Amino acid sequence: MELGQCTLEGLALAGDAAHIPDKIFQPFITRACDGVLDVRSRDAIAKDSSFQSVDLAVLKEAYAAVVTLLLEAAKNDVDSNSISSVLEDCKFTSDRIDIFSKLYKDRKPYLQILLGRIGDSCPHIVDVDWRMDYYIKNNHLEKVNQAVYLITLKTEVPGQKDFKEVQFSCTQEQLQDLVGKLRDATKSMEKASQL
Amino acid sequence: MLLMFDDKQKTHLSFLLKVDIGVVQEFCRLSFEFLRKGSNPKVYQGAAQKLGVELESVQNGVEGLMYLFTESSKFMISEIDFQDSIMTLGFSEELRHSLLQMYMKNRNEVREILSEMSMDLPHYHNLEWRLDVELASRTLRHQTTPTVLLKLHTKENSKMSTQVLQTDPINLLHLTKVLEQALQEMKSPYCRRIVRNIK
Repeated sequence: MELGQCTLEGLALAGDAAHIPDKIFQPFITRACDGVLDVRSRDAIAKDSSFQSVDLAVLKEAYAAVVTLLLEAAKNDVDSNSISSVLEDCKFTSDRIDIFSKLYKDRKPYLQILLGRIGDSCPHIVDVDWRMDYYIKNNHLEKVNQAVYLITLKTEVPGQKDFKEVQFSCTQEQLQDLVGKLRDATKSMEKASQL
Repeated sequence: MLLMFDDKQKTHLSFLLKVDIGVVQEFCRLSFEFLRKGSNPKVYQGAAQKLGVELESVQNGVEGLMYLFTESSKFMISEIDFQDSIMTLGFSEELRHSLLQMYMKNRNEVREILSEMSMDLPHYHNLEWRLDVELASRTLRHQTTPTVLLKLHTKENSKMSTQVLQTDPINLLHLTKVLEQALQEMKSPYCRRIVRNIK
């Protein structure tokens, strides 16, 4: 993990008790982490009166540096020890390092889920609905008499709120074929997971 | 059930009474060919000249046969009902027998042609799958996210289309389980009773 000069300078500000007093250090980094994880608390720190004593420019720079560190560390799956050594270099006290490392350790999985969701992918199947009809006749043909399944795959598309539906019909034989192939896929997946 | 012919159809088919059985068989062959590929008026002209009759009689005769074969195939008329239906047309026994044979031989093909004309929904054609493990992305290194990519081929009339979808192991298990249940449902006593009663 490599951090730029600005980030290191920002971290030094965040670690300095003259700028961010001990009393507000914990709320400060918690706010920064929440701002990343939850859209609703993105700019919450600007409205929080407990940070009034801190110079706005300093607050902004330190906040940006903390957010960058959290994201870079989660992105590279860095452990708490490496975080500690980075913070040590930025002149953090051991109390502050502990607070930061604990927060990072707790929130890392959530940060990584968030980061893993970024990016494009094919529509992701999350559920399936089916309906069975018995097809009797149509205007050209009588006595068709066969089962017809209507299948609806519900998919999630990155960046879209609603489910996208994929619909198709199949006869009993076609469904048999489909299920057979899905079973194959399931089996190979199970085998692969045991490697 | 029996097929009903109106007077006009009866008149058209009565032309077949006046010609040899060989000619009727040729007409049958033509009518099946026209059902497969669409009619070809030039053939009528040639046949009319050869037989020394009017073009219209030939055309009516062949079209009458086409009607006979499509209607009986459409209703999946049984052997006995087919014979009884053409009884009223005054054909010789030999001719009736020959028509019956033609009908039985071509019924499935005609039904297939009719089913191609029927309304169609996008239906399943094939599924290809691939197992991937995502190892890293721009925003997250060191991950092992298993993904199953699915390529679904569907067909509507003769138009094929393809969609690429993906899913995760849990959802794949769920998908497979739900569709297995759907398949199993067809074997339930309730469905079997319905199927038995619709014949």
